[in-house]
Amino acid sequence: MTIKYKTIKDIKIMLSQKEISNAEVIQEVYKLIKENNHLNAFVTLNEDNSIKKAEALDNKPSNLPLAGIPIAQKDLFCTKGLRTTCGSKILDNFVPPYSATVIKNLENAGCISVGKTNMDEFAMGSSNETSNFGNVQNPWGENLVPGGSSGGSAAAVAAGIVPAASGTDTGGSIRQPASLCGITGLKPTYGRISRWGMIAFASSLDQAGPMARTAEDCALLLNEMCSHDEKDTTSLNEDIPNFEENLNSPLKGKKIGIVKDIDLSSLDDDVVKIYEDSLKEFVSLGANLVDISLPNLSLSVPTYYVVAPAECSSNLSRFDGVKFGHRSNNPKNLEELYVQTRSEGFGDEVKRRILIGSYVLSAGYYDAYYKKAQQVRRLIKNDFDSAFSDIDVIMTPTTRGTAFEIGSKGSDPIQMYLEDLFTISANLAGLPAMSIPNGNLDNKPTGIQIIGNFLDESSILNFGHMFQKSTNWHMYTPEGAKQ
Amino acid sequence: MDKKTVTTISYLSRLKIDDGKEEKITKDLKNIINFVDQLNDVDTSNIEPLTNPLEKTAKSRTDEVTAKNLKKELLKIAPSSNEDYFLVPRVVE
Amino acid sequence: MSWETVIGLEIHAQLSTKSKLFSGGSTKFGAEPNTHVDLIDMGLPGVLPVANKEAFYKAIRFGLATGANINQTSSFDRKNYFYPDLPKGYQITQMTKPIVEKGSIKITVDNSEKIINITRAHLEEDAGKSIHDLFEGETGVDLNRAGTPLLEIVSEPEISNAKEAVAYFKAIRQLVTFLDICDGNMAQGSMRCDVNVSIKKSDDKELGTRAELKNINSFKFIEKAINYEIERQIKVIESGESVVQETRLYDSEKNETRSMRSKEEANDYRYFPCPDLLPVVISNKELQEIKNNLPELPEEKEHRYVKEINLEESEAKIISSSKTMANMFEEASTKTDDAKLVAKWLVGDVSALLNKDNIDIDESNLTSENFGILIERISDSTISGKIAKSVLEEVWKSGSNVDKIIETKGLIQIQDESVLEEIAKKVVESNPSQVTAYKGGKDKLFGFFVGQVMKETQGKANPQTVNDILKNILD
Repeated sequence: MTIKYKTIKDIKIMLSQKEISNAEVIQEVYKLIKENNHLNAFVTLNEDNSIKKAEALDNKPSNLPLAGIPIAQKDLFCTKGLRTTCGSKILDNFVPPYSATVIKNLENAGCISVGKTNMDEFAMGSSNETSNFGNVQNPWGENLVPGGSSGGSAAAVAAGIVPAASGTDTGGSIRQPASLCGITGLKPTYGRISRWGMIAFASSLDQAGPMARTAEDCALLLNEMCSHDEKDTTSLNEDIPNFEENLNSPLKGKKIGIVKDIDLSSLDDDVVKIYEDSLKEFVSLGANLVDISLPNLSLSVPTYYVVAPAECSSNLSRFDGVKFGHRSNNPKNLEELYVQTRSEGFGDEVKRRILIGSYVLSAGYYDAYYKKAQQVRRLIKNDFDSAFSDIDVIMTPTTRGTAFEIGSKGSDPIQMYLEDLFTISANLAGLPAMSIPNGNLDNKPTGIQIIGNFLDESSILNFGHMFQKSTNWHMYTPEGAKQ
Repeated sequence: MDKKTVTTISYLSRLKIDDGKEEKITKDLKNIINFVDQLNDVDTSNIEPLTNPLEKTAKSRTDEVTAKNLKKELLKIAPSSNEDYFLVPRVVE
Repeated sequence: MSWETVIGLEIHAQLSTKSKLFSGGSTKFGAEPNTHVDLIDMGLPGVLPVANKEAFYKAIRFGLATGANINQTSSFDRKNYFYPDLPKGYQITQMTKPIVEKGSIKITVDNSEKIINITRAHLEEDAGKSIHDLFEGETGVDLNRAGTPLLEIVSEPEISNAKEAVAYFKAIRQLVTFLDICDGNMAQGSMRCDVNVSIKKSDDKELGTRAELKNINSFKFIEKAINYEIERQIKVIESGESVVQETRLYDSEKNETRSMRSKEEANDYRYFPCPDLLPVVISNKELQEIKNNLPELPEEKEHRYVKEINLEESEAKIISSSKTMANMFEEASTKTDDAKLVAKWLVGDVSALLNKDNIDIDESNLTSENFGILIERISDSTISGKIAKSVLEEVWKSGSNVDKIIETKGLIQIQDESVLEEIAKKVVESNPSQVTAYKGGKDKLFGFFVGQVMKETQGKANPQTVNDILKNILD
């Protein structure tokens, strides 16, 4: 009996039928982590605690919905008593005195947080190469990036170490690594999941979400992750549906918006073909394709690269060496303490974004950049609002291609920024979006993105689940297709 | 975006650019700014900026003290503190 | 040609909420360092602010009392700068949509009235405290104050001299204490002010370059700092140089202002809307409720005292000038049928003592309760007015309970007529020549006999009774 490559649903059955004990599940997780040490997917492990929790469950069975399910937590969520680094040297010694709401919600549902996963520093990156703890390797190939920023979480699920991981998505940080690692990852509507305890990158864009092998598992996780949290005023006070309920609803007559403004000619022909094949699959399931226009979509990336750096430049000011985290040695005076601590503590990409943020907010540039970008952001949101009046979901490729080689996009930041071309707009508009595996090119997975209307995660999950019922791309693993 | 601007925003951000990297950073920032400059071609007159995708209003708190005394825990995670205070090099006013 | 001074004040008033503006941390003053610090006040990674509604209500009271516009939808912005007692590296404040805009307040200087317009009053969070002189080579940071709600009240540059500035600050202080939104305690830093000063030639249309004097926390220093700064600016300009726009610190020991080098470097606060906080909306119902419950303001009190209690206008003005004194008056008036007596004591003896010590009623040892007892003991004839005076002086010094002073010093008025008659007889017998003179027509000598009886009784005799008895014996 192994849990490798198993879904949450599989493990729940294995546990309920006593094919495996809770302790055995967790012990195997740690065995798999060690076997996959080369992936560098984990930054900090929570082994003793996790085994104790599993043993307690064996002694006293629980009927919590996710009892005993091992989950890897992105190292961006504060975990009480467990080191939380956000992939940065500036927090390499930080042990939070409190836990994020989403961590609490998952643990209250019975999940066991086995460890903290590697990530791009402060979630700024699309390849996991900006982590202070070294890059993560994509389980699909020795020199391939897993994507980012939730690269450790994606790699841990893709390698079959855990059935589930948490991620965060500011411009595609769940969906892009999910696509590059061949798993399913969902960014919910902005405000669905509390941001309390999530270390902020760009507050108006950040959203936590589940990463798993299937849409169905994402629904199970999302059910537990969402809550209205009084500690986060941007946490939505809306009904939280049971996301499992709508999974099997027929797609007949449902409408998929296809964005005619997207120029697919810059993508590999093979990637485009896989995407078009997936659309055909949806049509065969009864859905209709509808051309829609999102005229300002191409402005998403430049808009994002004003808004996100602006917010991050301010959000990261608290890392100053005074109250927590790293402080440089023997600063002569306060100014030196600030400058040395921050210069030593942050990596190049984080510094670049802080500088851009300071620039676009500074006197004389605010209107031309920051205000302008927020105005364009509204135009982008308006485009989505009018498009959704007539359709159920929108589909695009998740990424421009498959996983690229480590170091291949290193020198030009803009090349890396364009990685997020398809994913960023959902963050700007606050919409839910998911990536599911839809193909394989030279033994590298591809993904398709499903964007939903505000608060309509159910439709996305429905489309994803129906697709996964009729295809088996999500069953592919680096070791070949699995049952 | 030139070296002088980079110096100013580095100061505002309390970041030091290593001597060797100055040119590269200036070039990167210049490219990024050139890239986002395409926003200037968009007509946004009379468009209200969207600062948060939730166009809602905030709930607020009632005025109650809910915090516990966390002094020990908080001073413990500080890089430098004594039994009462967080410590930094003497600030001269 | 003469110089004209243009002054604007930015007053920071700590709002007297129980908890902080964005956290459940306590705002109580004087606690052990760093014991009132919530995760949010500490600015830990991942924490988020949630606004305290009460702070809005208090700010709105100020807006209503100054006839200002209330922005029922107001939002927060971040002001970015680094300082050890600013935990997040930014201060949350209201830059674009302040809760209160365009109010005004009346000040009186040398008996003439002037209206000072208030540009805006906005909510923001206070910083912590940096302690520079406690540790060798190090600055200590206490975050207890971090996140305490402040109302920053910004005046138009319509103040013309130091006296007006003080009058304006006093008027604002009086108002916020009456509104019960700030305790007005300047020694504890509950109210602080920054002063913008510039000068220009009388016929210049444009304002001169201003200097900002930081964090002045007493009326005396405001006046001195402004007057010093005006002189300095005149000297600078007359010597052919120009005034630099800068922040200056007032040194009360040397009575001078000097440039704060640390703030001199170009700062750019990079204000932008706080993405963690959605706009806060005050409903019409909430606004109406605040209107309905607005406390009586000084001017209203003054009119009521004159109209309903028949106080002299001058008395009513003095009593209603401070919340504490008005409270003392109203509480003590319940202990007697003679409210005018209470006013007489406050305007007379109490005010005299305040003037002598040059302090504020809040800084004195006299409590409202103790003053009430004093009035009660005068009214029920336990003590005479003269004794009451000495009791008040004792209270002034020690703060002891009035009844305790009366008891331990045996000051209870002698009411017993037979005792007083015996003393009076003795006084008359031992002063035969004065008796002869009195009977010969020297009426004024009656006072001499009263005085002697009072002396014998150490002032404890009821003067009216003594009068009656002496009249009986002598006439």
